[in-house]
Amino acid sequence: MPSKDIKVGDEFNAAQEVDKYRAIYYAGASGDFNPIHIDPEFGKQVGLGGAILQGLCTLGFVAKAITDWTGDPGSLKRIKCRFAKPVHMGDTITTEAKVSSIEGGKASLELKVTNQDGQEVLTMTSADVEL
Amino acid sequence: MAVDKKFIGREYGPLTYEIGKEKIKEYAAAIRNEDPHYMDDEFAKNSKYGGIIAPPTFAVIYSGMLAAPFFMDSELNLDFAMLVHGEQEFEFYEVVRPHDVITTTGKIANIENKEKVDVVSLETYSKNQDGKDVCKAIFTFVIRKR
Repeated sequence: MPSKDIKVGDEFNAAQEVDKYRAIYYAGASGDFNPIHIDPEFGKQVGLGGAILQGLCTLGFVAKAITDWTGDPGSLKRIKCRFAKPVHMGDTITTEAKVSSIEGGKASLELKVTNQDGQEVLTMTSADVEL
Repeated sequence: MAVDKKFIGREYGPLTYEIGKEKIKEYAAAIRNEDPHYMDDEFAKNSKYGGIIAPPTFAVIYSGMLAAPFFMDSELNLDFAMLVHGEQEFEFYEVVRPHDVITTTGKIANIENKEKVDVVSLETYSKNQDGKDVCKAIFTFVIRKR
């Protein structure tokens, strides 16, 4: 979307399926090989119900949803979240975004990030994009 | 044992990281983000950036490096098995490109001792080879008490 057309109340959403090997790809690219991410047996032993996706990979999906919408990766100026619930392989993560305010050449986004059961996996999620 | 609040302000770094084009592509593929700004030389050359750029959250790689000396800090004595990544915040400034040399410094910005958990925030600041800010990040970790 051309940035000049962005207005308060605009909404967009995007979904991303977490395939079986996503945490392993992310471990290779990021260096985060914590066994809770790559070893389902270990994940079960520590009460996580299997391997869980790196939280920063989930945040990467959210950032993609935003920059796909603006069309310019350089427009994302701030993003924050709380990692509220584990994401497992096979989950589908949906990002729903709404422009909450526009001020000083920046649009602020409120984001809701849920799994396929409607549970919020990230909370307190927000971002600013430059217009 | 609680993380001692006296470590607020403790500094780590500087660490430097040189950005590689193929690493950008590998990272972008790992987060399922095949945006041509990251993946397609020809497209990127004709974009407003004039070449490949890194996804904003590539900051995880160059600023996240500072987590290693923080985690390994024996005086801090973090109970690693009980530690989870609680919150994350990034502020982005200049875009990051292949061959940029990013220098990251950081400090423990806050330590909170709560009843059941300690909350420790590591704040990092990254600049490129021209001295321009590229990213400020706050990694917040929650350490459950045994």
